[in-house]
Amino acid sequence: MYRKQVRRRRAVLLLLVAASLTLLSLYYREGNGGPLHGVQDVVSTVFAPIESVADRALKPARDLVNWFHETFDARGENDRLHDQVAELRDQLARAQTTRQEAKEVAALDETLSGGIVPDGTDPVTARVIGRSPTVWYSSVTVDKGSSDGVHVDDPVVAALGLAGKVTQTTPNTAQVTLITDADSAVTARIVPSGATGVVEPDVGDPRDLQLDYLERGTEIAEGQMVVTAGFSTGDLGSIFPPGIPIGEITEATPEEQQAYQRVHLEPFADLRDMSFVKVLTVPSGKGKG
Amino acid sequence: MIVTPGIIGRLMALGAFVAVAQIVCFSKMDVFGSDPDVALLVVISLGVLGGSLTGAVAGFSIGLLMDCLLLETLGGFALAMLTVGYVAGRYRETIGPPTRGATVLLGGALTLLGSGVIAAIQIGTGIDATVSFLVVRDAIVTSLIGAALAIPVLWIVRLVVRSALVDERRAARRRPIVTRGGADQAPPVQ
Repeated sequence: MYRKQVRRRRAVLLLLVAASLTLLSLYYREGNGGPLHGVQDVVSTVFAPIESVADRALKPARDLVNWFHETFDARGENDRLHDQVAELRDQLARAQTTRQEAKEVAALDETLSGGIVPDGTDPVTARVIGRSPTVWYSSVTVDKGSSDGVHVDDPVVAALGLAGKVTQTTPNTAQVTLITDADSAVTARIVPSGATGVVEPDVGDPRDLQLDYLERGTEIAEGQMVVTAGFSTGDLGSIFPPGIPIGEITEATPEEQQAYQRVHLEPFADLRDMSFVKVLTVPSGKGKG
Repeated sequence: MIVTPGIIGRLMALGAFVAVAQIVCFSKMDVFGSDPDVALLVVISLGVLGGSLTGAVAGFSIGLLMDCLLLETLGGFALAMLTVGYVAGRYRETIGPPTRGATVLLGGALTLLGSGVIAAIQIGTGIDATVSFLVVRDAIVTSLIGAALAIPVLWIVRLVVRSALVDERRAARRRPIVTRGGADQAPPVQ
């Protein structure tokens, strides 16, 4: 009985395997119009409406499973997108910084383009790498030093106007004392009136400068420009060449002019937020003008 | 398995349903980048419940129907599923009804076997493809899904063919009959 069952089982198995292999073989040999393709087409056509109904009926179950997968997938994608956003933000920040720096360098070049750079001077572009942490912003450190030809007392110009002078150098860096420093004094001229005076900081307000020692009776109006005077008297001379823009008169009251010989001006250069400056160096062997 | 016309009808309905459901539903599911092969699990379940002959015939029939519905090479799925159904049935005949743990392992291993046979047939019949990491990963994920679904699918298939299972009939016969007085009465000897 058992042997009969085993024989039967083996026979059916062989039959099914043979049927499968025969189907495979015949299906490959015959063309698209062969009988097996025809049978397949008929079965497929018969089942097509059933498949259509089943597809609609089972869609909720399919969607439910896919929803779980998409939720898991979305979490992973969310993390990936967060990383991508952070990376793109970095790139954007770098691009904006580069753009801003290029803009500032262009403004710097434009400031010095009006023939105000004296002959024999060699402007060196330097990046501001350090800043005084006090609210007075009286000095900054730049990344060019004595090895780049920077000397003590070299004038320093920022975009739009005068920034200060070099007060200390190392081979690779230099300290620039700004015109807002309490010890700073720059001989200046008001254009077009021609009145001269000395620009000094207004202690306690880094955005305000004073033009002192003005001649009484000179007509000075708000909005007039103040530039460096560049005096030269024998061996004594201003370290700043003439004509470098300093600022604009913001307050000129007759009372203050009469009593203190003073008007107020605002510096053109944004001394609190500058990234690049030009140091007007004098190459060795040439004297200052 | 006690084969009656009613059971044959049920098996045919189950086979047709699972073949259609596999094509229109389960194959379109996305589970960890793969999809569950429920048709293969039904064949494994029929093999485990009914033996190698039932498994092989069911596998061949369901596979052939899927070949027709997918307009694939006739005999491809049929041969793969017949192999899996036969192996599942032989397990039952040589080792006995699988425990829960064995069912899970059987589900995973035989799904992997099925994927391997289908891949071998596809490559053997001229699909010019290399076995990439993606294919291997897909086969492994499918087998893991198969392992996870083996017990629920076996449970559902058992419900469908319950009346034809020899084990179920024996168990029903052994169940004690409780009389009104509360005394157990042994079932009549047949």
